Amino acid sequence: MSTEAGSGVKRRDFLKILGATGATTAVVGCSSEKVGKLIPYVTSPDNTVAGVSQFYATTCKECATGCGVLAEVRDGRPIKLEGNPDHPVNRGAICATGMAALQGLYNPDRYRQPMLREGAELTPVTWDRALEVLGQRLGEVKSRGGAANAVFMNAHETGSFPGLLDQWLSANGMPAHLSVDTMAPAATIATNRAAYGAAWPAIDFNAASLILSFSADFLDAWGHRVPQQLGWADARAKLEGAPRLVYIGARRSLTGLNADQWIPARPGSEMAICRAILGQATAAEAATAADVDEGTITALIAAVGAAGSGVLALCGMTTPDAVECGTMVADINKQNGSVGTTIKPAEAHAGYEGLSSYLELVEATERMNAGSVPVAFVRNVNPAYSMPASVGFAEAFAKVGFKVSFSIMPDETSLLCDLILPDHHWLESWGDAVTVAGQRSFQQPVLEPVFDTRSVADVLIGSARADGAIAASFPQSDYRSWMVSGFAGGSDAFATALTQASVSGSVAASRATRTAPSRPSPAPALGAGEGNMFVFVYPSATLGDGSGANKPWLQELPDPVTKIAWQSWVEIHPITAKQMGVKEGDHLTVTTAAGEISAPAYPYMGVRPDTVAVALGQGHTAYGRFAIGVGVNAYTVLPSAWDSAGNLALVSTRGNVTRGVEHSALVTTEGSARQHGRGIAQAMMAAAISAPEVEEHHHDIPGHVSQEFLPGLKSPVAADAQGEFANPQSKDKGMYNPEHPTRAESRRWAMTVDLARCTGCSACVTACYSENNIPTVGARYQGRALSPVTWDERPGANIIKGREMAWIRLERYYEGNTNTENEFSPDFETRFVPMMCQHCGNAPCEPVCPVYATYHSPDGLNVQVYNRCVGTRYCSNNCPYKVRYYNWFGYGEPERKQYAWPEPMHWLLNPDVTVRGKGVMEKCTFCVQRIREGENRARSEERELRADEFTTACAQACPSRAIVFGDAADENWSVAKLAYDRRAYHVFEELNTYTAVVYLKKVNHPAPAASATA
Amino acid sequence: MGTIAQPVDELRRPNIASADNQLPAVKDYEQVDREIISTLGFTKKWLIGLSVAVFAMLIGASAWIYQIYWGLGQAGYEPPVMWGVYIITFVFWVGIGHAGTLISAILYLFRAGFRTSIYRAAEAMTVFAVMTAGLFPIIHIGRPWKFFWLIPYPNWRLLWPNFKSPLVWDVFAISTYLTISTTFLYIGLIPDFAVLRDRETNPMRKRIYGILSLGWRNSDREWRHFAKAYLFLAAFSTPLVLSVHSVVSFDFAMALVPGWHASIFPPYFVAGAIFSGFAMVWTIVIPMRKWFRLEHYITLNHLDATAKVVLFTSLVVGCAYMIEFFIAWYSGVRPEQEFFWNRVFGQWWWAAWIMLLCNMALPMSLWSQKLRRNPTWLWFLSIFINIGMWYERFVIVVPSLSHEFSPWQWGSYAPSWVDMSFLVGSFGWFFMWFLLFVKQMPVMAIMELKEIVVPRRKHAAVEGAHH
Repeated sequence: MSTEAGSGVKRRDFLKILGATGATTAVVGCSSEKVGKLIPYVTSPDNTVAGVSQFYATTCKECATGCGVLAEVRDGRPIKLEGNPDHPVNRGAICATGMAALQGLYNPDRYRQPMLREGAELTPVTWDRALEVLGQRLGEVKSRGGAANAVFMNAHETGSFPGLLDQWLSANGMPAHLSVDTMAPAATIATNRAAYGAAWPAIDFNAASLILSFSADFLDAWGHRVPQQLGWADARAKLEGAPRLVYIGARRSLTGLNADQWIPARPGSEMAICRAILGQATAAEAATAADVDEGTITALIAAVGAAGSGVLALCGMTTPDAVECGTMVADINKQNGSVGTTIKPAEAHAGYEGLSSYLELVEATERMNAGSVPVAFVRNVNPAYSMPASVGFAEAFAKVGFKVSFSIMPDETSLLCDLILPDHHWLESWGDAVTVAGQRSFQQPVLEPVFDTRSVADVLIGSARADGAIAASFPQSDYRSWMVSGFAGGSDAFATALTQASVSGSVAASRATRTAPSRPSPAPALGAGEGNMFVFVYPSATLGDGSGANKPWLQELPDPVTKIAWQSWVEIHPITAKQMGVKEGDHLTVTTAAGEISAPAYPYMGVRPDTVAVALGQGHTAYGRFAIGVGVNAYTVLPSAWDSAGNLALVSTRGNVTRGVEHSALVTTEGSARQHGRGIAQAMMAAAISAPEVEEHHHDIPGHVSQEFLPGLKSPVAADAQGEFANPQSKDKGMYNPEHPTRAESRRWAMTVDLARCTGCSACVTACYSENNIPTVGARYQGRALSPVTWDERPGANIIKGREMAWIRLERYYEGNTNTENEFSPDFETRFVPMMCQHCGNAPCEPVCPVYATYHSPDGLNVQVYNRCVGTRYCSNNCPYKVRYYNWFGYGEPERKQYAWPEPMHWLLNPDVTVRGKGVMEKCTFCVQRIREGENRARSEERELRADEFTTACAQACPSRAIVFGDAADENWSVAKLAYDRRAYHVFEELNTYTAVVYLKKVNHPAPAASATA
Repeated sequence: MGTIAQPVDELRRPNIASADNQLPAVKDYEQVDREIISTLGFTKKWLIGLSVAVFAMLIGASAWIYQIYWGLGQAGYEPPVMWGVYIITFVFWVGIGHAGTLISAILYLFRAGFRTSIYRAAEAMTVFAVMTAGLFPIIHIGRPWKFFWLIPYPNWRLLWPNFKSPLVWDVFAISTYLTISTTFLYIGLIPDFAVLRDRETNPMRKRIYGILSLGWRNSDREWRHFAKAYLFLAAFSTPLVLSVHSVVSFDFAMALVPGWHASIFPPYFVAGAIFSGFAMVWTIVIPMRKWFRLEHYITLNHLDATAKVVLFTSLVVGCAYMIEFFIAWYSGVRPEQEFFWNRVFGQWWWAAWIMLLCNMALPMSLWSQKLRRNPTWLWFLSIFINIGMWYERFVIVVPSLSHEFSPWQWGSYAPSWVDMSFLVGSFGWFFMWFLLFVKQMPVMAIMELKEIVVPRRKHAAVEGAHH
């Protein structure tokens, strides 16, 4: 033993030092997290509690519908948009586009300050300088007398702003503005005005028994999709008396896939079918024209006759004869007496009032091209992208003397401008919208502006007040006071109105009226043009006309029909593809008189064999990092043709479709579109609903538990909770003990998904991205290395590798039509299944995790502990539902190129949910943060949880109300009843997983004559 | 019994009837010492080989740094195929690691004479193969810096690994196997270290060998203890040979994935491991016997005997393949049936047929005695079997995961350059160790060779003086 004194460091000291340094190294050295600082508010803002959300009622401006939304604001920043349950239009639901508005707000590529063109470049300037230039140039224009030729292109909206704008324009001697909405179903609006006297009469799906949709994609992008979807789903939820939907059109859209029958009429032949229904032609004539079975038309005529006033015929066509056809479709309603029953002009929606036609934009372009426009303004309208190339907008616009953009994003049009005065995002702005008749819905800023932007209304008012000649007509100093001044009841009433979803009243200042121009379209009749195929162009259900392309949530959201993201594609029928020798992903070149595009082929049996379909929305050359270089712009192949009301005809031409040389892997989330008899999406006939329940005969094998369907939740809690070694007699139930102080064991969180309601719209997917900080992985820079020096920079490269992170996905399965490569048949059924973690009571993922990173909570949740996960991915292998997602890259690490939330996009992260690090597994948590928040709130208020007190993000958003979440162990919750519905089933029940997600079978409504075929 | 006077016709007498006639060309103890120890000299070729191996190892090492920095996304994983080349290569190397202990322990207990010449090399191969295999689960996990969470160690959070998880069983199985096979290798080396110590002239090396030989003095007592220890370890290792790969097979068999969830997996994996292990022994030993001029130690008889083991295990493995198909059909479970169809005739037909060709068809050539005794053919066959056994694990891992229950999530898989760097790196790592081994330690057990060599009688007087 070394006990000699004075030999330097003593053994004990040495050990102490060793221990201390070792511990320090271990503690400091092993932490991979950066040390941050938490600074509390010195003076807390009023009504703000750190970590507690505030909700501001405002109005969504992403489309003309005007849904009421609640912005969830945490510490001054909105982190999520939810539907406002009190709003009459959307009743709490919200669509993907609406939720993705946050990514417009926090878009890293937004204009951050005013810009002025100096030479060829736009350079940042101060607002003072920018406004000075504006005033100066406006003065010059007015002094030269050119004001009357000014053009103001404003994104279409309702409410007060158009009035203010026109007031400002007229004060400056300028003509009224153009209100542009390329997504508006303009032909339908024109026919509605003529036939019903209202731009958008209310559609009562509930009163209908037979719905005829002539390409009226009321579940995709046609009209007001959230209220339409609510109405449709409620009507279908009646099951037996639910309306039957017949879809007539060359391409089966999402609405078409939800239809019970598809009549694949040749493009341009729809009027022939209308004539037959109206008795003006025979079924045989219609069948020949439309290239469909005569029997189909005969049955359709009979069905329309039988439905009487229960007929709801809708026309959403975009052909050059759309207005004439729409008028005939309205005649069907009139003939059946369903106007006032299913179509209610008295309860019209005002969202499309004041819309300018495409022809007006064409005429403005012609004036610009003639060099007669001295000044043009553009605000969030992008005609340089969203007009057919043959119009030559960009060239014409270049001839305008002075071009001002109020757009918030550098898009194709605003980048051509000389002065950029970036507007606030609508979430930063005051405003309002007029929705259903007589209802006014307010919009209020929910945060301080993210960037150095100014409200366009304030800029206009300011510019007018700076001009001595017109200052007197603008007594208010800003837009808010301007709105208050026109509001009955003044400031106090206005403040009260803001807290309400919607108030009665009309907009004080009405807009200027215009006369719409009219002239014949240059396009020949559809089908007469050159080319071997019809070219069917349609607005994307996710990206719209392209305005959604800058939002990664919408890019990442697979198209509900084709399941393709981050890409353009050409839909072609498998028969035609086979004839052309084209395989999925081979490029097809579509050439029309207007132009040419090349995109990978997607063989789709929902498009006619003589038609190819291309979606709008991609192919941007500007509009931010998420939009640039993704796909092709379908406007390129569109001729500038319009219908008799002057609206752009999207389906107006034939084209030559040839096989290109390239091949691109499709960025698809689709595996197999067939169920292979595995009972994932189950359906039953409507007639079977009320049939007496037949005692099911199980295969009685002695000693075998039947694997036939048993309704409800077989296992009240986890298998572990049965006791030690799953032995019910065991007394050792640990935390699963009902007497355990947490009392968590008394709950069983569960979910039901009603497939009779679900339309596959995918709003739940985006809701989940928003709530749970799910990274988008498809941007060009997020790919992997293909070699030590090259990276996979295809858009969606990670999704091609199957690495999308959507915790909830919409599986789309086809039934029938298996010989699709050789035979064209319109008779196939589509079933949509939202698939998320099933929170199995007997979860296969749990026992295989070596570190207990996934385990079962006493209240029935399958819990994933990110901090504990080491990333063996065994759980995912063992999950039959394949609902676990892995962080292949550091999507949450700003220093990695795969970072999913480039500043300031990360402001939308939900602080209640961890941003997962690389190398860990994640999955649906049943929004555990919402469960715990609800439980904590109940506890702090010293009460029990109320039934249906809160719900998950997907269920909250769902515009079909298909998802219901709650405590299945408490019979007061809706889910507890629904889980024992007659239609209830579990997916892969034979695997004994005891899932907590219960699906309710889809209900099919076959044609009355064909009801025997299931 | 053959004698030295009667040289054995190697072509005519395939079997090793007894120890006496195993090594007809080896005349005495000194020849053994001389020839075996002469293999230890450094040569230029060896240095080149080592450099290649180290370079390959560095490719893998840099790939690892790269992968840890960026994340596992740089590998070719394509969900739902969440396991890929790393797990395939892990199972491959664990399988390789089986032959050594089988040869040194089980064949020792069975008194199989042909084991003597090859067991040391095979045993070293085992240790290095398991060392290689052990890296792959760590490479494979998403947060490799947390791999120790799989080890049960006391901690203040009272967190333990999940003892239900086959991956935790793997940790125990592999670490136990590595410990025991290393110990076994070392114990067997002790008398040989003593020989090296006695013959070494370099004082530094002599000292190291001296320490390693634990002061072996060749006494009867030492030999008695040694023999007991060796027998004990052989008996101890024997069940491990069977258990390790059974446990590895549980990684698959305990999951409910179609194509994995099969009770035949443990015996099937053990047979496959022995099969691949013997092939790897050929891959190593056939060039080695040529380059080190050890043909008269590892004779054609030895190769013939190992070829019979390979033929037998090939039949076992082939039988297991057939039974898998039969059970898939017999089960009546649709996902299982569709999966097996997809494996052989669908998406993955090429991988399955590579496997069937290499593991079932080509080894059938070993029914021919001529081919069994043709080292060139055996070496090429060993390469085919190595490829076939790698593909067997590929066929188990990838097609199963890509074609599970949910058709919507059916997928595909293609390894990336990072995966391939690890595969190359693993061979570099393995051969680096093996090449270092062959120049530091005798590739054959000198003391056991001496047991089977009948010493030449120099003359009667000397012989008399011996006793």
